Amino acid sequence: MPAIYVLDVPEFRALAEVARTKPAYRVTEPGLGYLKIESDIDIVFDRKELGFKPAIWYGAFTGGVHGRIAEFGRDTVRIVADGEASAA
Amino acid sequence: MPDTPTILGGVHHTARPTWKLKETVEFYHDILGLPIVHAISAVGWGPEDHPDFIHLFFGSGRESTIAFFYYLGTPKPEEALPLGNWLYKSVHTAWRVETREELLAWKARLEERGLDVLQVRHEIIESIYVTDPNGYMVEFTWQIRAMSEHDGLDAKLTLAAAIAIEEETGRPVGDIETVWRRKADLVAARLAEAA
Repeated sequence: MPAIYVLDVPEFRALAEVARTKPAYRVTEPGLGYLKIESDIDIVFDRKELGFKPAIWYGAFTGGVHGRIAEFGRDTVRIVADGEASAA
Repeated sequence: MPDTPTILGGVHHTARPTWKLKETVEFYHDILGLPIVHAISAVGWGPEDHPDFIHLFFGSGRESTIAFFYYLGTPKPEEALPLGNWLYKSVHTAWRVETREELLAWKARLEERGLDVLQVRHEIIESIYVTDPNGYMVEFTWQIRAMSEHDGLDAKLTLAAAIAIEEETGRPVGDIETVWRRKADLVAARLAEAA
């Protein structure tokens, strides 16, 4: 399953806040200042829903990614589990 | 805004490109002893030809930092570049202002004098940029929040991921996704150690 680590800091916190509203995603606090977001399905984020400016958007996964980025556009990102076909 | 004075608070960071990530970390961190305080890794954005990058910051005292851009999959230019090339913009000085009000006062002042001002909200800073008559970019910035120990650990893991890949493959890492994937493994391992 795809998962991401997000540093629990104000500029990235919307990732966890939005993830918590989606039943397929699980948000945990594993420690060392990180949040972990994992999902049984693709992890998809919408830039506008997150309220991210471009600089934050394009660095949003600096915490680390388990899986593969199948799509990273101006407003949509999709992370899939390893081994799944890319839509790109 | 007219009541907000436009006073600089010293240098926040100076920045330049590097084509030697590991050696740069060894020099500034291991030899000089500067702390790794922050690192941004991102998919290339902005100009269409802008590559993925890691932007790393070492603390240089009194809240100042020295910063480097590590552009992924981008060979060091062998010849002089045209002045408008984006690579020139990576070499810059950023002055500190203390508040957002001061930043906006600077923006107003510069715009009143006819300058084009670019405003960008970054991870932990918000900045305005102008270009001087030489074509050099100057940045004014206010730091939105203090850097924490978690920023430092996160930065170290980003750099460790990129360096590990390059040591294993013997060549520069070409894209940031590869770094992010390795970094998740490093974060997981560090969390397991801490548990």
